[in-house]
Amino acid sequence: MKLSIKDQIGLRCIIKEDGQKIYDAIHGALQNGETVTLDFEGVNQFASPFFNFAIGQLLKDIPEADLRRLLQIKHLNETGKLVVERVIENAAKYHGDKDYRKIVDDILEQQAKESG
Amino acid sequence: MTQKVIQILTLNDGPHDFARLFGIWNDVNDYFEDIRFDFSRCGFLRPNAVAFLGGLARLIESRMGSVTFDWNTLHNSWVRTTIRQNGFASAFGDPSAPWDGTSIPYREDTALDMNGIMDYLTYDWLGKGWGKTHLSERVRDAIAGKMWEIYNNAFEHSDSKIGVFSCGQHFRNKNELCLSVIDFGLGIPAKIRNFVGTDPRAQSLPSDACLRWAFTRGKSTCTGGVARGLGLDLLKEFVRLNQGKLEIYSNDGYTIVDKDGERYENRDISFEGTVVHITLRCDENLYRFRDEAEQP
Repeated sequence: MKLSIKDQIGLRCIIKEDGQKIYDAIHGALQNGETVTLDFEGVNQFASPFFNFAIGQLLKDIPEADLRRLLQIKHLNETGKLVVERVIENAAKYHGDKDYRKIVDDILEQQAKESG
Repeated sequence: MTQKVIQILTLNDGPHDFARLFGIWNDVNDYFEDIRFDFSRCGFLRPNAVAFLGGLARLIESRMGSVTFDWNTLHNSWVRTTIRQNGFASAFGDPSAPWDGTSIPYREDTALDMNGIMDYLTYDWLGKGWGKTHLSERVRDAIAGKMWEIYNNAFEHSDSKIGVFSCGQHFRNKNELCLSVIDFGLGIPAKIRNFVGTDPRAQSLPSDACLRWAFTRGKSTCTGGVARGLGLDLLKEFVRLNQGKLEIYSNDGYTIVDKDGERYENRDISFEGTVVHITLRCDENLYRFRDEAEQP
């Protein structure tokens, strides 16, 4: 499967709604073990919400190693590559359900370190 | 009801100037306020003040108050020309239409308009003056994408009922390009306290600690199973690499990221909302890709 992002989305990969469109188009194929190529030829502007939804959320049910093997990204410029790598790294560490008590502990722990 | 007159003094972008702006917010922060802004003692207005006053006026209007900008009291010619050119004056009753000059337009967004905001960042903020002549299109595209994260955060997290207000300016003599993006929503610390509200310690979390958490990669108050929390981190990294300055005022919290690192503070004065103020150094050698030639 090959998708031209410029044809599907346009020149800007910015918002989560566009990222969701790409996710919906490729998720099933990747789950079935098919190779997917995303071609970013002609796309110039990038931001993290697009990639969080297009690629980051694939890691909910596809292991990172499989994703890196099956998903091929072509013609993505340096800025886009940086964002994608961050998104994958972040999504791989993400734990879905929020533990509010743990968040408060984190905030207070950071604070204690700074003031200590 | 008696009209309350608020004197707008000379306003730069230092902590003292922001304290003054938050003081004005405090003075008019009620329903049914009837306000007149007087500029007779104003010798200079930085874009942060322009965006803040614009948003504040919309906030007062949304609370069934009225606002008059008394343009007859504005005697300083630089301020008058700038706010006429950038469209701020005409947005608040001045008959002169804005024109396309070196000023960066004042902007109000009530919804997250991707193309409108990206065009503003790419062509108005970065595509004039220094940015147009000294930055490659690729660099402008890259910077605009980073700045988008500010707007995305404002719309996704602030719960601002009146939208987001922005203004910028290129200061040739200081070699600086500024952008201020302001919302009058909850504020980041308040949002985090609400988010963890089921924990009994939530309401006593200090603002500086909340801001530090929000600035950490991967931390976000968004739920729904999709990892987020990269926007502020990407912005912080960009500013540090390019020796710029990123300041955030939110409730009584303050953050500064610059070449010396990042610092978080609690301030004496607070407001409901968030100001993101970015200052970039206009040195084109700081902004280029590895494969782009260095400027002589």
